[in-house]
Amino acid sequence: MTQTVIWTIAILVMLGVVLAVVLYIVAEKFKVEEDPRIDEVEKVLPGANCGGCGQAGCRAFAQFCVESEDMDKCFCPVGGNDVMQKVASVLGREVAEKAPMVAVVRCNGSCENRPKINEYGGHQSCRVKAALYSGDTACAYGCLGCGDCVAVCQFGAISMDPQTGLPVVDEEKCTACGACVKACPKNVIELRNKGRRNMRVFVSCVNKDKGAAARKACKAACIGCSKCAKVCPFDAITVENNLAYIDYTKCRLCKKCVAECPTGAIHAVNFPVIKPKPAAPAPAEAPKPAAPAEVEKPVTKEE
Amino acid sequence: MLKTFSIGGIHPSDKKISKDCKIEVLPVPSKVYISVAQHLGAPATPIVKAGDKVKAGQVIAEPAGFISAYVHSSVSGTVKAVAPRKDLAGNNVMHIEIDVEGDEWAEGIDLSEDIVTDIPEDNKVILEKIKLNGVVGLGGATFPAHVKLCPPPGKTADCLILNGAECEPYLTSDNRIMLERSKEIVIGAAIMKQVLGGCPAVIGIEENKPEAIAAMKAAVAELQASAKGYDGISVMPLKKKYPQGGEKQLIDAVMKRQVKSMGLPIDVGAVVQNVATSLAVYEAVQKNMPLITNVLTVTGDCVPMEKQHNYKFRIGMPLSYIAEYAGGVPEEAAKIISGGPMMGKAIANLDATTVKGSSSLLYLTAEQTVRGVESACIRCGKCAEACPMGLEPFLLQKYARNNMMEELEDNAVQDCIECGCCLYSCPANIPLLDIIRIAKGDVIRIIRGRGQK
Repeated sequence: MTQTVIWTIAILVMLGVVLAVVLYIVAEKFKVEEDPRIDEVEKVLPGANCGGCGQAGCRAFAQFCVESEDMDKCFCPVGGNDVMQKVASVLGREVAEKAPMVAVVRCNGSCENRPKINEYGGHQSCRVKAALYSGDTACAYGCLGCGDCVAVCQFGAISMDPQTGLPVVDEEKCTACGACVKACPKNVIELRNKGRRNMRVFVSCVNKDKGAAARKACKAACIGCSKCAKVCPFDAITVENNLAYIDYTKCRLCKKCVAECPTGAIHAVNFPVIKPKPAAPAPAEAPKPAAPAEVEKPVTKEE
Repeated sequence: MLKTFSIGGIHPSDKKISKDCKIEVLPVPSKVYISVAQHLGAPATPIVKAGDKVKAGQVIAEPAGFISAYVHSSVSGTVKAVAPRKDLAGNNVMHIEIDVEGDEWAEGIDLSEDIVTDIPEDNKVILEKIKLNGVVGLGGATFPAHVKLCPPPGKTADCLILNGAECEPYLTSDNRIMLERSKEIVIGAAIMKQVLGGCPAVIGIEENKPEAIAAMKAAVAELQASAKGYDGISVMPLKKKYPQGGEKQLIDAVMKRQVKSMGLPIDVGAVVQNVATSLAVYEAVQKNMPLITNVLTVTGDCVPMEKQHNYKFRIGMPLSYIAEYAGGVPEEAAKIISGGPMMGKAIANLDATTVKGSSSLLYLTAEQTVRGVESACIRCGKCAEACPMGLEPFLLQKYARNNMMEELEDNAVQDCIECGCCLYSCPANIPLLDIIRIAKGDVIRIIRGRGQK
């Protein structure tokens, strides 16, 4: 009886030792050399696995950071500059600060501005809709309003405004991962510079039709009149294919274009509300102060 | 027992309201807008500019690639502009705007009504004529015809199938041309047969068009008796089932051969052409007439009998002009479709113009077009039973909604022919095809991208 127990223990111990040796040899032989810094970098990252950096996930990004020579190419939009500083300190490198970005919806084709000319009864998805035809309105470029961007946002930063039928970006939550930019079949959403104190000026239209056709389709369309380009003191505005575009790297937020735009297609957001001077109410009726009133609208909408 | 394809299929309504309306020739409007993207493949490059005088039948745009086609002016007049214009989906496409002046035709075009039965002997000449006259497949896909008639090296055609199935409800244009231009269609078939190396030709027609079957049989018999080169052409009546007119389904029905996944008909020795294409080939080869006309059906349940028409139109005519000429858009019409009710496209812009492949203006009422409220899949399997490609649409839509590309590929989403049988048969009103179509595009893009690496 005791002999059986002893034999059993002995055999198991021997087996254990032999297998341990085999495992050790195999582990040594097929060892995968991995840079230990990848793990360290991964720990610093937010772990959203959103793909906003262009890599297949946070670990892939960590590996990319470690292997990449140039830190300028690596940027985690979710973590922003703070996380990138940490990554750089783990890797013992320097990283330049990047200006924070935010997703901007460049369409102002609300139900009011852009009358519907037909109705779509199929599957409510922008991609499906875009593959079939140009959309419910006469504008073949604008927002389709089915909310593919809302569905794809991992951070809950986009919601549809039931009043306008357009997506609204929550600037606090938006991480500029770019998922909505990729999801939008009409390329309406763009990542733009967040700007000083979140103040931004942008053309809220992507219609490339000629002025008359664009205006007919939507009251708030850019008609490509180039007035904004002429008035801009910093050469930040280019007009191509009947559509103005403001280069945010050059724009200095002077808002001259906003006042000039005849259709109100240029939006200025988050600018402080200018209180009308109580002393002179009569001159306030002049056309110039009418423009800031237009400007303030988006502010209330976004907040 | 009549033949048909083996898997799936549905039986939508058998309505062919306008089948007895003779083909009428539409008068030319004062202006036409000719699209440069009337075919599958690269849009053609315009070779005229504003101010140029053009004659009917003159080339105004040249192919911009291997799979592309010539586009000809359908009228004589002055080019007013070459500018983007909205097509029937509302997207901007380059159009050539022509102000009509008189009715002059380019040289070399035989405008007489005599039927030419002698087929040119040189196949190269025939193919060149088909190519130069801009002939494309008129069954729906508008694939350039000369490309299909030149099998890749190592592959030979065992059978030319002429598609006269016209399995879509309502459409009657093919029916009418088979009745009124039967001889020309048979001559076109003989020409294509000769180009393909003398293989037999079968004209497949569904049984619900007995007059067309009789007319085509008579035309074949008459030509076989009176001229050379018409042996081996036969008419095959087919059982009525949708989508019989699908290329792969027709090959299955006629030849009992199945095209493999992602394969081409020529892999099993088949070449399929529509009867309207055959007519266009006849016109191109025997009359030197470019493809600038086709037949279009104006129909619908809400259209009174006297306003039902089959029109011979010229390309570039605005659809609104045709609708107006036919007696206006009926008040009950809630949706206008270009093509059949199963696979046609809803028209978002009636100012769009006719293209080579236009086949109908179909008015549907609100009751006919409304989609039911979508509910959960009850796994009844009706869609899988109906799918003529043997796919499982309920599964594919699930994968598609979750972006599961590998599973989609394993379940052959790339073989979907977008016939709409699944959507038609679904009792839960799930927009199966809407979802699957997008996934199919994605998967095909992935497969093609793989090949390039």
